[in-house]
Amino acid sequence: MNRIVDLIKKQPIWIFVLVCIVFFSVSSPYFFDLNNFSNILVQASTIGLIALGMTFVMINGNIDLSVGATVALAASLAVGLQSELGIIGAVAVGLMSGIMIGALNGIIAWKTGVDAFIVTLGAMIGVRGLVFIYTDEQSFYAYDLAYSDFGASEIFSIPVLALIFILLTIVAHLILKYTIHGRNVFAVGGNRVAAKEAGIRVGPHMLINFILVGFLAALSGILLSTQMGASTPNLGRNYELWTITAVVLGGTRLTGGFGSIIGTLGGVLAIAILRNGMNLLQVPSFYVLIILGSILIIVLFIDKRFAEQQGQGVGA
Amino acid sequence: MKVQISSIRTIRSFGKTSLIAGSLALGLSSMAQAETFRIGITQNNVGVDSYQTTYEQAFEEAAEAADNVDAVVLDAGGDVARQISQVRDLIQQQVDVIIIWPTDGQAVVPAVKRAKDAGIPVVVTNSNIAEAGQPLIASFSGPNNIQQGAYAAEMMCDQLGGKGDIVQITGQPGYTTAIERQKGFEDRLPEVCPDVTILDSQPGDWNREKAQRTMEGFLTRYDNIDGVYAADDNMGVGALNAAKSEDRADEIIFIGATNFAVGYEAMERGEYHGSVYQSPAEDARNALNIAIAVAKGEEVEKMSYFDTPKITRENMDEFEKPVF
Repeated sequence: MNRIVDLIKKQPIWIFVLVCIVFFSVSSPYFFDLNNFSNILVQASTIGLIALGMTFVMINGNIDLSVGATVALAASLAVGLQSELGIIGAVAVGLMSGIMIGALNGIIAWKTGVDAFIVTLGAMIGVRGLVFIYTDEQSFYAYDLAYSDFGASEIFSIPVLALIFILLTIVAHLILKYTIHGRNVFAVGGNRVAAKEAGIRVGPHMLINFILVGFLAALSGILLSTQMGASTPNLGRNYELWTITAVVLGGTRLTGGFGSIIGTLGGVLAIAILRNGMNLLQVPSFYVLIILGSILIIVLFIDKRFAEQQGQGVGA
Repeated sequence: MKVQISSIRTIRSFGKTSLIAGSLALGLSSMAQAETFRIGITQNNVGVDSYQTTYEQAFEEAAEAADNVDAVVLDAGGDVARQISQVRDLIQQQVDVIIIWPTDGQAVVPAVKRAKDAGIPVVVTNSNIAEAGQPLIASFSGPNNIQQGAYAAEMMCDQLGGKGDIVQITGQPGYTTAIERQKGFEDRLPEVCPDVTILDSQPGDWNREKAQRTMEGFLTRYDNIDGVYAADDNMGVGALNAAKSEDRADEIIFIGATNFAVGYEAMERGEYHGSVYQSPAEDARNALNIAIAVAKGEEVEKMSYFDTPKITRENMDEFEKPVF
C-alpha cells in the first residue's frame, strides 16, 4: 500500500496513463489491440523525441521554445534538398540544421547571459521566418518513394518510427541516470552557483543540452516528414507547447533540478493515448485540450502538495 | 472514368440504440436494410472559416438523417501530422470509408495509401490530392473548377453582349483550383464569344489587396476595360474597389468564379454582375452520398462533382447570402 502511495507521489502521470488505458479499453472495442499500441507509439514519437531532449534542458533550469520551428526547418531541408544531395545528404543537412540551431541557442544563452526563454523565443520566430523564406511557403514532396516507405516500414511488425523512439528513450534514460553528464544536469539545475563551485563548467554543459534538443527536434521533424513523404512550412506549429506540457506532466519542474525520462515518457504517452482514445470514441478534439489542461494542473498540484513538502521532487 | 470498389467488408453490428430508434421512426421498410455503414471523415480545419464550419454542420445533419450511417467526424485543425494520425485511428477502427479533406494535397498521399492498403476506400472531399494519389482514391467529391470557370465565361459573354476587352485576375499560381478556373474560362470564352478579347492575365493570389493592386496596374495600362474576370469574388471585389477609386467601375462588368459574401453584397448594391454559387452544405452532402455509395460497393464516378449554379443580379433572390 505504501508503495502505491509512493508511486502516486513520485509518478502521478503513470497512474493517469494506466487509468486511461483501462478506461479506453472498456469503452472502445478497437483500443486494446497490438496494432493500436504501435499506432500510439508512432503518434507519440514526434513529440516524444523532442521531449527527451527537452527534459535535459528543463532539468537544467532552461527551456527551448524553438523546437517547433526546428522541426519545420529540418523537415523542409531533408525533403527539399533530396533532388540535389540525395536522401542521405539531405537528411544529414537537416540534422545539422538542428544541431546548429541548438548550438546557437546555447552559445547565445551562455555568452550573453540572456534568459533561455527569450533567446529561444527569438529563435522560434526567426527560424520560422527562415522556413518561409526557404520554402517560399510551399510544401515539398519527396519524389523518391524510398523516403516515405521508410516512414511506413516495420521490423518484426513494429513500426520503425516506434522502435527509434523506444531505443532513444532508453539511451536518454541511461545517460541521465548513470553518467557524469546526467548527474551534472541535476546539479546545474538544482543550484547553478554550487555546481560552478564544484567545478562543473556550466556554460559548455548547457550548450551540450541545447545541441541535444536541437538534434532531437530535427530528427523528429525528419521522421515526421517520412510519414508524409513531404514537408509543409507550417509543420511543428505549437510543438514547443506540447513538448513542454509532456515534460511537465512527467514531473519535471520548470525551475529545474528535478525530473526524469520515465516521467517524460509517461507525459508523452498520456497525451498520445488521450488523443488516440478520443478519436476512437469520436470525441471532438477540443475536449482533449480541456482534459489535458486539467490534468496538467492536477499533476502540478500533487507535485507541490506531496513531493515539495518532503524536499524532494520526482525521482530520476 | 468508373471505379468499382470490389471489397465491401462485413459490418459488425453493435446494436446501436440510435440505429434502432432511427429504424423504428422510419417504419418497417428500413428494418430490412439493417446494414450500417461506418464513415469516418477527417476535415481540414473546422472553425478557421465559416465555409468549413457550415460544411461540418451539414455533414453531421446529413449523417444523422441517413438511417444507415454511423459517422466518425474528426478535425485535423489544419495540421498535416494530426490528419495523418487521424487516418491511422480511422484505419484502426476499421471504418468502411474514409473521407479526407486534405490539409495538404501532397503530404497526405502516403496516409491515403496506408488506408487503401488496409482495404479501406478513400473519398477526397472539396480539394483534390496530388496526381500521385489519384490511383489510390475511390472518388473525388467537390466543385468542378473547370465548369465554374466556364460558367463565368458564359456570364461574361451575356453581360457584355458578345463584344469587348477584358482582363483576368487568377488565383495563386501553382494551385490546381487556380489553374482549372483559368482553363475553364479561357476554353469556354472563345466558344461563346469569339469577339471578346482577354487583354491580360495576372495573379491575385486569392488575396483582395493583391487583386486590387493588380487591377490598379491594369487600369493604368489599358484605357478601355469592359470586363474583369476574377477567380473568386474576394479578388473580384478587390478589382471593383480599384476601379471605384478611379471612377471607372460603372463602365466595367465584374464576374467571379466563386461567390463570397462580399461579392453577394456588392451584387445587391448593383456593382457586381455575376458569380458561381458554391454551397458548403451541398459540398458536404455530396461527399457523404458518394461515401455511402462506395461503402455499398456501387460504381461511382472518379470525379463526383456537385452542382454549382450561376448567380447573377436577376436570380440572386433564390440563394442565401454565402456564409464565407
